[in-house]
Parts: sequence; structure tokens; C-alpha cells
Amino acid sequence: MKSKIILLVEDNPDDVQLTLRALKKSNILNEVVVAQDGVEALEYLFGTGKYAGRDTKVLPQVALLDLKMPRMDGHEALQRIRKDERTKLLPVVVLTTSSEDRDRIESYSVGANSYIRKPVDFNQFAEAVNQLGLYWLVLNEAP
Amino acid sequence: MLLIGSLVAVAITRAVAGPILSLQKGAEAIAAGDLSHRVGTLAKDEVGRLSRAFDAMTDAIDRRVRERTSELENAVAERKKAEEKIQKLNQELEARVIERTALLEAANRELEAFAYSVSHDLRSPLRSIEGFSLALFEDYVDRLDDTGKSYLDRVRNATMRMGRLIDDLLKLSRVTRSEMVREKVDLSVIGKDVAGRLAESHPERSAEFVIVDGLISYGDARLLTVALENLFSNAWKFSEKAPRSVIEFGVLHRENIEVFYVKDNGVGFDMAYAGKLFSPFQRLHRIEEFTGTGIGLATVKRIINRHGGRVWIESEVNKGTTVYFTLG
Repeated sequence: MKSKIILLVEDNPDDVQLTLRALKKSNILNEVVVAQDGVEALEYLFGTGKYAGRDTKVLPQVALLDLKMPRMDGHEALQRIRKDERTKLLPVVVLTTSSEDRDRIESYSVGANSYIRKPVDFNQFAEAVNQLGLYWLVLNEAP
Repeated sequence: MLLIGSLVAVAITRAVAGPILSLQKGAEAIAAGDLSHRVGTLAKDEVGRLSRAFDAMTDAIDRRVRERTSELENAVAERKKAEEKIQKLNQELEARVIERTALLEAANRELEAFAYSVSHDLRSPLRSIEGFSLALFEDYVDRLDDTGKSYLDRVRNATMRMGRLIDDLLKLSRVTRSEMVREKVDLSVIGKDVAGRLAESHPERSAEFVIVDGLISYGDARLLTVALENLFSNAWKFSEKAPRSVIEFGVLHRENIEVFYVKDNGVGFDMAYAGKLFSPFQRLHRIEEFTGTGIGLATVKRIINRHGGRVWIESEVNKGTTVYFTLG
């Protein structure tokens, strides 16, 4: 059985560590691919650059997308993901520290499936990740 | 004899009637507007003198009229100049207002950008501190003595507190940034909504809300809701220790002005320290006594100020607190 892959797009290494820790705490042992910004995320999804030669028919079960990243930010990456036939149905959860209305609205406008604010309290964050994992990896049926 | 007499009579008549006729014609001409008319005479008699006097009078009138006309023309020209000056000043004023508005809008946008970056940039390292101090605690708990554990506890509490401070600062800045809409508002309805939500989110306690009906005023419904939320939640919080919490919201009239008030029967405070209450982050109680970041009243003050109103507070230790406000 193919393992369900989680694509984590996050530029802050601390946040990467904390998210991985939260996933582990929730017993989510799926393979996590980490992309450090929008550019790397697209390279992974489309099998270019760093990921040239990757079988692009294998797509993640869900992508966790940060918004503010260098080179290419979350919204732009999401736009590209939605534009391409191969990835336009990919479930994308925006996971961000931003509490600004306009970020939330922009995310949904560009095609996010979900928008989650990262709480400062790690326990709350772990709880959120737990629920995310339960929903997107278990309950939800990918396209 | 009679013939000479009648000839003399005719001559006299002619000598008098002629000039008098001229005078009459002259008067008529002048009355019709011809001020250049002069009767002219060389006669040296009384009628001649009359005619010359008449002409002198006409000269004087003519001169006066010219003078007055020129004075009037000057006055009109001056007034026209003054009007043009006013127009020019108005245009300059408008240009200046446009410039100032643009500067203000730019300043507001800068403030927005600043608040936005605070929201994002400060929280990131905060999350790291929080997350990794918890990880340290969890993964190395057996290697930590009680003091070590308490240190980590303090670190985590401080990060939580900082997170709340950042959130509150953001809320405060949003109050200043947002557009204000002035319309008729029913403060009683808003108050009841706020009271309801407060009770719902704190089911472990109950407080009696006494809200007068028909508190109508003019202002921004959204901002006033935030103000009442802050006032009610303060009243709620500080009346926690009272056996029966009663929170009143009503209006009284002082010198023809409507003064709204939110009153609680809670712990109150010493008025001697009231001076700084409306500054951000000012608190009169220790954290162990009552939670909170001290931003509530500062927010209320900003909202009331934006409405052109006043807000003030009266209290007595253990007797409760009343916050009064007017809406411009």
C-alpha cells in the first residue's frame, strides 16, 4: 500500500521541527516531504530542479502550506498549483501565523481547502495537527 | 407812454424769460443725464448771475459725480481683487487638504503594514521559544530538578503572556486604523448581545445584567460593540469576587448631555491611582489577582475619542466601579 505523503512547505526551520514533532505526537508516521519555499514545493510536485526525475504521478495526500516564504510565497505557489492540471485538485491546507483577514480571504480565493492559524501555544498546535492529520489523512478522501 | 411802457415790458420779459427758459431747458437736460450741458451766458444782470451760478452748480455736480463714480469703480475693483484673493486662498486650502489627506493615508498605511508585520514577525520566534521549551520539558524532564522545571514553566507562561500582548496591541491598532461609519445605533441591543456572549463563554459564573432599553445614539456600531465588550468584560472580571455580580448599563442626563454608564459592584479601586488607567497596559492589580493585559480601557478611550466623546471613571474600593462615556 502506498504510503500517504504529506508535503510540508515551510521556510522556518524551527517551525518545521515543531510541526514534525506535533505530527509524531499524534502518531502520524507518514512520510513528510519538506520544501523550504514555494519554488521547492513546485519542483517537488512537477518533478523539476532538485526533484528532477521524480514520478509526478505520485502526489501528496495533502500539502501544508506556509504563507510568508522567500523566493515564492504561499499564495503564488497555490496559484501555480491550482493552474496545473496535474495538481489542481491537490488538497492544500494553509498553515500560517498570520491572523490578518486579508490573508485568509486571499487564501480561499486562490483555492485553499482550509486555513489554519498556528497558535503560539504548542499544545494547542499539537492538538490542531492531530485533528488535521485525522481529517486529511484518514477521514477525507483525496480526489 | 403806454407804447414805451409795453416795449420795455416786452424787452424785460425777453431779457428774463429767455434766460429762464434756458435755465429750464438746462435743468431738464441735466435731469435727463447730460451733465455736460451748460446754459452759458454773458449777461451781467441777476438772471445772468443766476445762470452762471447754475452752471457752476452743474460743474460741481459733474465733478462730484465723476469723483463718486471713480471711487465706486475703485471700490468694485478692490472687491473683485479681494474675491479673487479668496478664491485663490480656497484653492490653496483645498490643495493643502488634499496633500494632508494623502500624507495621512500614507501614515495609516504605514501603521497597517507595521501592525501586520508585528502580527507575523513577532509571533514566529515566540512560537519557537514556546515549542522548544515545552520540548525541553517533555524530553528531558527526568534530567531536570524542580527548579529547572519551574524555570521552564516561567518561560512558557511569559511566552503566553507575550502572545496575548501582541494580540491585544493588534486589536488596539485595528481600532485606530478602521474606517468609521456613523449611523443610528441601539446601544441596548448591542449591550444585550455582548452580555449574552459573555455569559455563554463563562458558564461557570453568572452575573445579573441590568440593561436599560432604548439607549439610542449615533456612532459606529462595530466600534461601539468593541467598546461595550471591553467595558462589560472588565465589569465581569472585577466583580468576580462579589457574592452576587450585578452589572448595570444605562444613561443619565447631566446638563442636557446624555451620559452612558457601565457600573459593576465589584472590587473597585482607589481613585488616587486612576490617572493612568486609560493608558495602554496600565493595570492596578497584580496578575495573580486578576488576569488581563491592561489594554481594555485604552481601547475604549480610543473608540470614544474617535466619536468625539469623553470617557471617565469613578470607583471606590470594594464598592464597585462605574465607567461613564458620552458620544460626541
